[in-house]
Amino acid sequence: MFRIRFHGRGGQGMKTASHILGSAFFHEGFEVQDAPRYGAERRGAPIFAYVRAARGAINERGIIRHPDLVIVADESLVPVPAAEVLANFAPHTTLLINSAESAETWRERLNLSSPIICLPLAEAGEQAELPYMGVACAAAAARLTGVIGRESLGDTVAEELGSLGEEVVAENLRRALAAFDAMADHEGCVAEGEERLAAPAEGPDWIEMPLDLGEQATPAIHAGATSVEVRTGLWRVMRPVVHEDHCNKCVWICGSLCPDSVISTGAGGYPEVDYDHCKGCMICVAACPRHAIEAVPEHGAAGETAATHEEASP
Amino acid sequence: MSEPVIKGMKDIPSEHILGAGTALCAGCGALQALHEIYDVLGENTVFVNSAGCMTLMSVYPFTPFRGGWLYTAMASAPAGAQGVRDALDILLAKKRIAPEEDMQVAVLSGDGATYGMGLAAASCAIDRDLDFLYICYDNEGYGNTGNQTSAGTPHASRTATDTGAEGVPGYKKDLFGLWVANRPAYAATVIGAEPLDLARKVEKAKSIKGPKLILALSPCPVGWDYDPMETLEIGRLAVKTGIWPLKEFVDGKVVHTKTPHPRTPVEEYLKLQGRYAHLFSPKRNDALIDEIQSRVDAYWDAVGD
Amino acid sequence: MTRQLLTGNVAAAWGVRLAEVDYVPAFPITPQTEIIETIAGWIDKGEMDCRMVTMDSEHSMITAAGAAVATGVRSYAATSSQGLLYGMEMLYTVAGWRTPFVLTNVSRGLSAPITLESDHNDVMAARDSGFLQIHCATCQEVVDATLMAYRLAEDKRVRVPVIVNLDGFYLSFTREPVDIPDPAKAREFLPPFDPGSLKFRAGRPLSEAVAVLGGTPYSYFRYELHLAAMGALAVYDEVAEDFARLFGRRYDAVESYRAEDADYVFVMLGSFSTKARDAVDGLREAGVAAGLVRPRLFRPFPVEALRRALAGRKGVAVIDQNLSMGKGGVLHGELLSALYGVADAPPVVAGFIGGLGGRDIGPGEFREMISVLEQAVADGETPPPRLLFSAEELRHVRKLQASAHVEREEIHRQERGDTERDET
Repeated sequence: MFRIRFHGRGGQGMKTASHILGSAFFHEGFEVQDAPRYGAERRGAPIFAYVRAARGAINERGIIRHPDLVIVADESLVPVPAAEVLANFAPHTTLLINSAESAETWRERLNLSSPIICLPLAEAGEQAELPYMGVACAAAAARLTGVIGRESLGDTVAEELGSLGEEVVAENLRRALAAFDAMADHEGCVAEGEERLAAPAEGPDWIEMPLDLGEQATPAIHAGATSVEVRTGLWRVMRPVVHEDHCNKCVWICGSLCPDSVISTGAGGYPEVDYDHCKGCMICVAACPRHAIEAVPEHGAAGETAATHEEASP
Repeated sequence: MSEPVIKGMKDIPSEHILGAGTALCAGCGALQALHEIYDVLGENTVFVNSAGCMTLMSVYPFTPFRGGWLYTAMASAPAGAQGVRDALDILLAKKRIAPEEDMQVAVLSGDGATYGMGLAAASCAIDRDLDFLYICYDNEGYGNTGNQTSAGTPHASRTATDTGAEGVPGYKKDLFGLWVANRPAYAATVIGAEPLDLARKVEKAKSIKGPKLILALSPCPVGWDYDPMETLEIGRLAVKTGIWPLKEFVDGKVVHTKTPHPRTPVEEYLKLQGRYAHLFSPKRNDALIDEIQSRVDAYWDAVGD
Repeated sequence: MTRQLLTGNVAAAWGVRLAEVDYVPAFPITPQTEIIETIAGWIDKGEMDCRMVTMDSEHSMITAAGAAVATGVRSYAATSSQGLLYGMEMLYTVAGWRTPFVLTNVSRGLSAPITLESDHNDVMAARDSGFLQIHCATCQEVVDATLMAYRLAEDKRVRVPVIVNLDGFYLSFTREPVDIPDPAKAREFLPPFDPGSLKFRAGRPLSEAVAVLGGTPYSYFRYELHLAAMGALAVYDEVAEDFARLFGRRYDAVESYRAEDADYVFVMLGSFSTKARDAVDGLREAGVAAGLVRPRLFRPFPVEALRRALAGRKGVAVIDQNLSMGKGGVLHGELLSALYGVADAPPVVAGFIGGLGGRDIGPGEFREMISVLEQAVADGETPPPRLLFSAEELRHVRKLQASAHVEREEIHRQERGDTERDET
């Protein structure tokens, strides 16, 4: 059975990716399961989707714990613990990253012995967040399995996206086939994983649930603003940077309009952005009367952040 | 009514008390309005919440609130507010708590619950003269489930359940008008993109006893289909085009707090949003654009602009 | 202690008054309305220091009651039938909030067809809500159970709401002599409500009833509610013991009447069980060793006490005043699951559906149920569930259908046949 996991952010088309890959497998005669996994998180938040494909009936359900292939549409997610991109990697698990950097760089950065393939999906002059990301990821994954033909993939893309109109389908098809072709050297590199039966698995450490007093055993939070422990800054693909030389120090404007209350008055009266929580909506950029706040891609910083995270949590 | 403190932008609280780290989308117009409202209301507020996007404001064990929060169900947040308010009044009357332990009670509800399922509970809370602030974040659709048509969805916009060439056949309900007909102590429309107008109204509402409404139009990047950065521009255009009149009902009269003059054509507002894209492409639908414009014009003609 | 003639509804109101309830969100519905009217009258005369608010629905009413408890006051609500169902979402919700209060349900059959008279389908629908359930057989039990329910609900080890159930008409509008407990003793029995840390106060951050994502914390919170309900069995025994000590009336979780040496036992809930008592006495006089076992507690289900009470009996007739379509009586299924695989369990446990929509159960029917049990024991075969419904009743329905111009050839034929028979 192929067990394939897609990681991206809400809005990057991971559900579409899983549907296209699932349908492509299906067209090739496989039994298939595909599903997105939704949490409370929204656009920009880490989400994942998965595909299972086998020649026989599939009885597994739910999240994939032992993937054969993991596709990361957004490289800034790799170091994010909550995204669980690197969860349950086996030596044979292939990692496909949408990145302009080399596989070697990622191997060193992640200290990972599994196979790594890098595929830069952004074409010249494009930002990180693309409408075509999901389709390209699915196409690349299809080639890596070695069991999905070029024509069959093309048919699937046309079928899955048909409702979006000819123009959209044509552009998606172009992107999909480009990604498919780019993976020619790696065709078939992803092998099917073993069947996992219940018997050899480790037994659960079941307990007798203790009775707690009702006061404790109800979902109540007895402190204020505990939400700050959630690092929503990880959703960001662009970062607002304040240029103090242009800044008027009218923090009541950007500070009030920021939905997430992450702009406060910092040193010298300039606005200070809490990057741990800024989701990167860029409303402050739009709001600044002096154009002193600039949107800067988070991308370049991802590698450095990754290294820092790896050191912090070995 | 006490003397207002908020006169200019600089008087708006600079300390933001709503905790960051919530699961709401980047660029959320509802969160923008809520944090501005909370800054004026202060920590000693119990929010009684109904089902909607804001349900996920508090996900165990994380809450952005510094005072009280109680999640109820979709239809009954006003009844929850009744229970909390009555209990606090009983405790005060029976001297089981000190006056300084008292809290103000607010309902937090989306347009789905406010314009539909929760309307009876809210209306009857007004009938009972409940002392509470009803905050509606109106993102004009069932946003939390992916923007299906609600009773707050505007005419001709496209939703997940009205996907045809003409969009939604019905018209957005005049919730402010319904409240006014119910004779509350106070009612106001606001938008996060106009923080000063919002803060003044919340300050006023806070000083009045009885049932009060703060109805916040809440641009929604996901449901309305636009870049999160545009939340501010779309919010400002909602006011400039006259689509979202900023007004308040106080002392038995409706007063407009901002009259756009001259009004920007509604087209400027519509064309920024994917939910109206079918009005412009592949073919411009002048009939629908004109209809939206003429309804806005008729509104302002009627109020004697 | 004063003995007075009280309806079940007024008895419930007395329980609320003696519990010194602070807050009553209310909504009228037949046959419960007399309860809230009685309380309203006391409040308006200054006899009860309580606030009542008439709400817009039972859904709102239960929300307000739960929210008030979450703010730290003792609350009460009452409803019936459609009202209980309309509030069903909030029954589950406030139980999960762990807000202890008492809800009186005056049982009434459910729509459609809409009816006014009693059966237990309404309260059975609340079975899995997290509310505990105490079922009353007399007006005396109603006042006493209401006080006991507050003690049970507010116990720190329990902290879940409780439904006290009484049958519409048969108790709600029926006056019986009731000993009204002495207020001072009631106060001794039921200490003031202590909400602990779950209360909204200025300067005390508290987010209640927040969302939970993921099966693990969800399982924890839901299972804790179950454990609290299970633990309520032992707490109920303590409460009943204390009540007996103070007031001299004992209310075991399971009432057993002449069942110790009985061959055949009726098992049922609620006020019709007093009819079964009479039937037991009559059967005993006729030489049949009959008995009655009546669970007062339905949630938590007193499994051990029922096993003990029924051990060694030859046959059991479960009389359900409810009907789970496609299965049968709810109590019958519950009892079977409690007895399965238990040594000494009765070999025959037969199910009977009776008393739907207030239909009476006659003495001859109790006798007949014992005959069915005797036959079943002799045959070694348990009969399928049976509806208590006579040929005469079916004839009556046929007449109604004819008057309703129901187009059915068979009905007209039968109607003609009936007439012919009547004439001969």
